Order: sequence, then C-alpha cells, then structure tokens
Amino acid sequence: MIGLVDANNFYVSCERVFQPKLEGRPVGVMSNNDGCVIARSTELKALDIPMGTPAFKLEGLRQRGEIHLLSSNYELYGDMSARLAQLLRDACPAVAPYSIDEMFVYLEGFTTAQCAALGQRLRQLIRRHLGLPVCVGLAPTHTLAKLANHLAKQDPRYQGVCLLNGQDHTTEALLKRTAVGSVWGVGHRLAERLAIGGVTTAWDLRESDKKQLRKGFSVVLARTALELRGTPCMEMNALEQPRQRIMTSRSFGQPTGVFAEVHNALRRHAQRSAEKLREQQSLARAVMVFLNTNRHRRDQLQYFPQALIPLPSPSDDTRVILDAVRQGLEQIYRPRYRFMKAGVMLLDLVDAEQHQLSLLHPPTRNRHPFLMATVDQINQRMGQGTISFGMTNAPAAWQLRCAHRSDRYTTRWDELMKVGTHPGATQACTSRTEPLP
Amino acid sequence: MPGQSAHFISALPLTSQPLPYLTFLGRAGFSGFPSPAQDYEPCTLDLNTRLVKNPTATFYVTATGDSMEGWGIFEGDLLIVDRSIEPRLGHILIAMLEGEALIKRYALYRGSPHLCSSHPNYPPLLLEGSDCQLWGVVRAVVHEYLR
Repeated sequence: MIGLVDANNFYVSCERVFQPKLEGRPVGVMSNNDGCVIARSTELKALDIPMGTPAFKLEGLRQRGEIHLLSSNYELYGDMSARLAQLLRDACPAVAPYSIDEMFVYLEGFTTAQCAALGQRLRQLIRRHLGLPVCVGLAPTHTLAKLANHLAKQDPRYQGVCLLNGQDHTTEALLKRTAVGSVWGVGHRLAERLAIGGVTTAWDLRESDKKQLRKGFSVVLARTALELRGTPCMEMNALEQPRQRIMTSRSFGQPTGVFAEVHNALRRHAQRSAEKLREQQSLARAVMVFLNTNRHRRDQLQYFPQALIPLPSPSDDTRVILDAVRQGLEQIYRPRYRFMKAGVMLLDLVDAEQHQLSLLHPPTRNRHPFLMATVDQINQRMGQGTISFGMTNAPAAWQLRCAHRSDRYTTRWDELMKVGTHPGATQACTSRTEPLP
Repeated sequence: MPGQSAHFISALPLTSQPLPYLTFLGRAGFSGFPSPAQDYEPCTLDLNTRLVKNPTATFYVTATGDSMEGWGIFEGDLLIVDRSIEPRLGHILIAMLEGEALIKRYALYRGSPHLCSSHPNYPPLLLEGSDCQLWGVVRAVVHEYLR
C-alpha cells in the first residue's frame, strides 16, 4: 500500500500552532512582499475569497478585524515540513516528500487493516507532536492514493483517513463521481479530448481499452488507467508535476560529502527546474533545497536536511534561483556526511501572465526574458546543458516586505513563542516592550 | 569512519537543531605509546541528548510573568517543551485556554485535576468542563545567569 499524507491548509495550520487565537478564525497567508493571498483557512474559503486575491482588496476586512492576513513565514513552514518528514521517517518503512506539505509513505508488507490503523495513528501522532491537522489517503497506487486523500479531506465521515483498495464499492462509487479532469496527470486539455470519446469520469477512464488509450493518447494515460484499477505502474518521478511545484532531484553516481560536488549537482537541478518553470510559463515564489544521506546504510551518519528560501519577488530567472539554492545549501550543508541525493523544488508557483498585472511589484522577469529564452532555445537545439550559468555573485541583501509576518518560532532564538504564567501576562509583556523605538 | 556509534544514528538531527558534536577518536601519535584513554571511547556530553529526547516534537518557548516562580520558572526563562510526552499529575504543562497559551502545573486540588499556578492571585482552574487544550509538557527550564 501507498499512503499520501497531506497537511490541511499547511501554511495556516503552521501559524495556528503558535498562535492559538487564530483557531476557528478566517486566516490568509500572503505571498512574498504581501502581494496576494496564497493560502487560506477553511473559514476564509467560506467567505468566498479566492486564491490570488490581491492583499490591498482585503485591507478593509483586515483592519476591521474580520479576517487575519499574515505575511508568509517560510522559515517556519520549512522547519515544520522537515519535522513532518522526520516524524514519518521514524514511523514508516519508506518516505518520499512530494511537496512541502505532501509526503508519500510506502507500506510494503502491511495488511489492509494494519494500513488503516497506521493511517489513523499517523494522523493522531502528527496532530499531537506537531499540532498539524493532516489527511491520509491509502491505496495500492499513487494515483488512487491521491484520490483517496482528496476524499478523506472532503468527507468528514472518514475522520481524515480514507483507504481505497481499488476493487471495492467505495472505489467504484468514488471513481464514478470523479470527473476525469481531477485525476492525477489528466490536464484540462486532455479531459476535453477524452470527453469527445465519451470518457468523462475517472471510472470511464479506468474501463477504457488500454491499447486504444496508448494509440489515441499516450502511454502515460494508459498507465494512469491501470493505476486506477489498482495496478501500480508509475514511479513517483514519472508522475505529472502538479502545477504548484516543480522538483528536480537525482542520486549521485557516487555518494559525496564534498561541498563543491553537492553544489554543482544542485546547480544543475536548479537550471533544469528553472527551464521547466519557463516552459509552463510560471514564476516561483520560493525555492527548497534538500539533501539525503543513504538511509539503508545504518553504519553511516544520517542527515536529511532541507532549507526553504523565499524569493524577493516571483521569478523564473535562473540566476535568482541559483542564488537561492546556494543560500539554502550553505544553511544546511555539514561536512562528514556522505550525501546520496540532492534536489531542488520550486514552490508556490504563479502564472507568469497573471502576475504581469501586478503594478506595485513589477516582476523581475521583464529584465531578462530574451536572455532566458535564448538559453532555453540553445539548450533545446544543442542538447541539455550546452549553455549553463557560471558562478553568480553573492546576492544583494534581500529585503522582503513582510509587515505581518509572525515570529520565526522554531528557527530564531529571539523570536520564540511567549507563554504567560497567568492570563494576560504575554500582553503585559508586549506592552512593556512596545513603546521603545 | 571510526567513532561512529549507533548512538548518533538514532538521534537524527533536524535542520533546526544544532548537530551533534562529534569527537575525534585518534591515537596519541603514529609511533610511541598509544593513548591510555584509547579504550575508553570518549563521547563528549551533549545537552541535546539529555534535554531533547524527541527532536521532532520538541519546541522552545519563552516564559513571561511571575506566577510560576514557586515552581522555578522566572520571567524570560527558556522552556523546553516536548509535545510527545503524555501528561501526568505533577507535570508542568503549556495549556491553551481561550486562545492563550499558559504555563500551569497539572495537579490535584481538593481531589480533582486542576491547572495550578504558584501565586495566590491565580486560583487553581478546574479542568473538568473547561475547554482547555494541552499544547505540550515542559521537560526542562533553562534559567541563564549570564547572557
């Protein structure tokens, strides 16, 4: 069985762990430079405030205290994500982080009942140890696990854990009411083409003839149909990248602990990721760098660090991403470890076209589109890596606008959560320190 | 690599945690006498291993207020809070009450569980029927004399 553990409204949930007064209130988290809403609590969604709403439109609501808007606190989210991954590694045989708030766990050799029990246990453990609410989807394949997770989120009767064995009535009923476009890897263009052939639900796709799918569409779609039947045939790396994040990672040919080697690999991944980003015409708001040692070598020191670096403004500039990668690596690199794998993840993507409309924070993209397009063209024609970027200079100090950022409770000694010994003690403390300039 | 013990493998460091301090296990020299300490594997004491039993569930917070001084918690002290501990009577807890995080001692008062402080101004709070939620158990207090 494969499990997908997905945190509910991850950014907002991280904030609530340290600010209990936000519990049950409409909360939104804003993009870098406080541009627009990128994460919403259930209560904010209920107010019909869509993703991407510019922050200035919500200023009135915020000032009247009807909603809470916070600047993104990537240090906090990155640390909570690392804790989540570590907790899962301690509890499951194998774990593969898929994005900042989604992680696959692999439960080979477990019975169905054991999987369901472990799902509930993980959910309680994460809630108690980290304070984060999560949902768990369990199924024989990645594609079904994703759907199971979705169902666990939608339907409170599952109590956060949904198991689909691929053959039962629940699976059938679910697939029959799931639009084919919501299946992992079926984009909206593809869904339109499928609809012409009468394939509108996930169930239709599952029952379609494999050979025809392969001929008329693609091998990948034929595999997706098999996955819906409960036959695992997709590796995680082959899965369609969600639109919200791009990941490039690879194992080293030879494990290495040398900074320059690790850095070089990460630079390659960063350049490849940036290319993918431009290909789908998105801009990234944050960059995550991660390293893994070999977890099977129990005789070696183990270390699975990750660092999250927010970008000054959404960007698809390879140079900006390379700078962020270097910063991230410097934060987490330690000598003496032999790293097995390194990766770069681009997070919180935004549509480039849509972002152009922002007047207050003109994207840095305008300055270099020709340079990047030329680099991409040459690399496409002459082969990957024909042109790459040399060492970039140390970045200028990045000043993000983050007027409403909460404290970085888990990564800065001087920003720890303040806890009073009696009601009102924390307020008394802040009012005492506030008048100072 | 010598000097790696199973000890370090189980205590996985997080990015937020300082890394365990590794000691170099060498001989006194290439020739000459072996170090007399050679058979005693040195393992420099590390406060992390003593105070942080479960790094993923351990958070640090700062105490404010004077009503827990009777239990040794002073204004500005650093609390090491372990969310993985099952609370028991006598433990000092971080509890969430009406949207506020408070430090209290979980104890019996007149025969039933209460959240108590050590200050007469704040009477014990009956747990039963309150909407109080546990945030974590305080494992240790760090009171720094020099900063």
